[in-house]
Amino acid sequence: MTPENLLLRPLITQKCTLGCPDLDRCLGGGIPCNSITELVAESGCGKTQLCLQLALTAQLPIPLGGLSASSIYIHTEFPFPSRRLHQLSLAFHSSHPPIFGGDPCDYIFVQGVHSADQMLGIMTKMEQFVENSRTQLPVRLIVIDSIAALFRSEFDNTPVELKRRSSLFFKISGKLKSLAKRFGLAVVVTNQVVDLVGSEGINGLRIGNLASLCSSGRRVCPALGLAWANCVNSRLFLARHEEVDKEENELGDVNLQSTRSRRRLHVVFAPHLPESCCEFVITRKGIFGVEREQNAAKRNEA
Amino acid sequence: MEVGRLPISASQRGKLISAGYTTLSSLSSLSPSDLALDLRISDNEAAEILKVASLGSRLDEPEGGRAIVNGAQTAWDMLHEDEMFPRITTSCLDLDNILGGGINCKEVTEIGGVPGMGKTQLGIQLAVNVQIPVDYGGLGAKAIYIDTEGSFMVERVLQIAEACIEDMTECNGLLRKDFQAGQLKMHPNNILENIFYFRVCSYTEQIALTNYLDKFISEHKDVKVVIVDSVTFHFRQDFDDMALRTRLLSGIALKLMKLAKEHGLAVVLLNQVTTKYIEGSFQLTLALGDSWSHSCTNRVILYWNGNERYAYIDKSPSLRSASAPYSVTSKGIRNSASTCKRIRMM
Repeated sequence: MTPENLLLRPLITQKCTLGCPDLDRCLGGGIPCNSITELVAESGCGKTQLCLQLALTAQLPIPLGGLSASSIYIHTEFPFPSRRLHQLSLAFHSSHPPIFGGDPCDYIFVQGVHSADQMLGIMTKMEQFVENSRTQLPVRLIVIDSIAALFRSEFDNTPVELKRRSSLFFKISGKLKSLAKRFGLAVVVTNQVVDLVGSEGINGLRIGNLASLCSSGRRVCPALGLAWANCVNSRLFLARHEEVDKEENELGDVNLQSTRSRRRLHVVFAPHLPESCCEFVITRKGIFGVEREQNAAKRNEA
Repeated sequence: MEVGRLPISASQRGKLISAGYTTLSSLSSLSPSDLALDLRISDNEAAEILKVASLGSRLDEPEGGRAIVNGAQTAWDMLHEDEMFPRITTSCLDLDNILGGGINCKEVTEIGGVPGMGKTQLGIQLAVNVQIPVDYGGLGAKAIYIDTEGSFMVERVLQIAEACIEDMTECNGLLRKDFQAGQLKMHPNNILENIFYFRVCSYTEQIALTNYLDKFISEHKDVKVVIVDSVTFHFRQDFDDMALRTRLLSGIALKLMKLAKEHGLAVVLLNQVTTKYIEGSFQLTLALGDSWSHSCTNRVILYWNGNERYAYIDKSPSLRSASAPYSVTSKGIRNSASTCKRIRMM
């Protein structure tokens, strides 16, 4: 056994861009390779959107912030949003000059998984697949959307079952981490949230920078509990807040009432990032960060 | 008592001294056959010499306070040696204060906390701080970092290393304004080079590495800290047989303790937190169970108190229980911002 010389490694861990400079700035360049990044959000916040976008941006050449790689996309929530992926890929195709022939969707390998045990079984297949991939681009990104769906229904709330569940967490995460290390993969898993009842967190537990996570006006916390939190390297939180825009017309009526979603990406914890947040919007073309004046002012102050 | 004063023949005495046995303690752990081989005398003769020597040392006892076993020390000597050993600063003054100056060399310290608490940050900080040159109150040594989780990011190490060098240069400027000779010759890259980084992907690898460390450290004597981030991760994966896990873990703990003692280095084990069912409610506790909690000399728990990070000394043979705030900044572990404010106000 010999130690690694840290100088021989790239001084900055390779990252996969999110396809938007504002979001990338917030995350120090994108999703890091060699580790597991978790995206936590309630449904409809953009987890899947972000994952699909990553699967496309990973194909970008390295100078453009991509990994020049194809990706494995494991979905546990059915059906797979192939129509949306197609829409995104068209936008992606038009905004980036064609770097290589063919449809970007050809470089995304999709696999549906129904149970935690099946997930564990697929890990070994995945390893072989990554090792022997004969595609034009090597696999450098694994997305699991979502890990929570596998675990939230199958297990009872008894000590024995919970113990079996957390043992599975560590097995899956251990396998993912060794894959990530061996092939320099970026691994992204998504997680759902549960509502938080009571004033304190669960058992007064607080994980990460934010005292409490808030989304849609409710206090939430990531699903799968403390054991799973130990299994990921970085945790990002996507929040959504509804805002009512009241535009009064000349007669004083408030008939132009519309609700607008404001979405935010928070860094809950990460070994290389400070606490930070960035607002984003979801458009037909994908997810984009919004550089707000307030944020800009804050940055200037700092 | 010297060998020269033993009631043995002059030729035997001469042979003993020329073979390097000058004191009685050097003879205390020898077997007759070894001695016979060394001095090229008969076994009987050697046994005779050892008998006389042990008699002599027994006579010696009341005045000198001899060690029972070769290599044993008196508590007095140990106290002096303890004071001689420098400690590794955490870069947070409050934390150093409750730790009695920093992380103790020759001991195993366990640090635990929830995810995102700053365990890895503290680990990286220690790997950098152990390299602070002796002139600056550091150890000028090297570090071994064993990464089981993959949270070690080189860019973060670089950031902390740069801040550390910046602080030292500042300190240099304050202390010896006119000295050009005292100029700091350190580069962040040197700091990176002096961290021996091992990425471990399974518990078998972790055990193998622990066994190999002794050899590695014998070849790299300037290693003064071993950080394991985290000791837990692979031991929460695949164990149906908990008794086996306990045995393996205590084996690792014993090896690390021996390493700490023999090479005079600090071993820092980072641990995760789990919930434990006690008297009808779930409570937070460090992972790996009760038997593991005996394996570490010191135990520090990191926790949130409101919006502030705190460290608490949960177990230590020499330190009293105390807690202190700290913060994780872009420069690394530092004093908590609120205590800085308090100091400024005063």
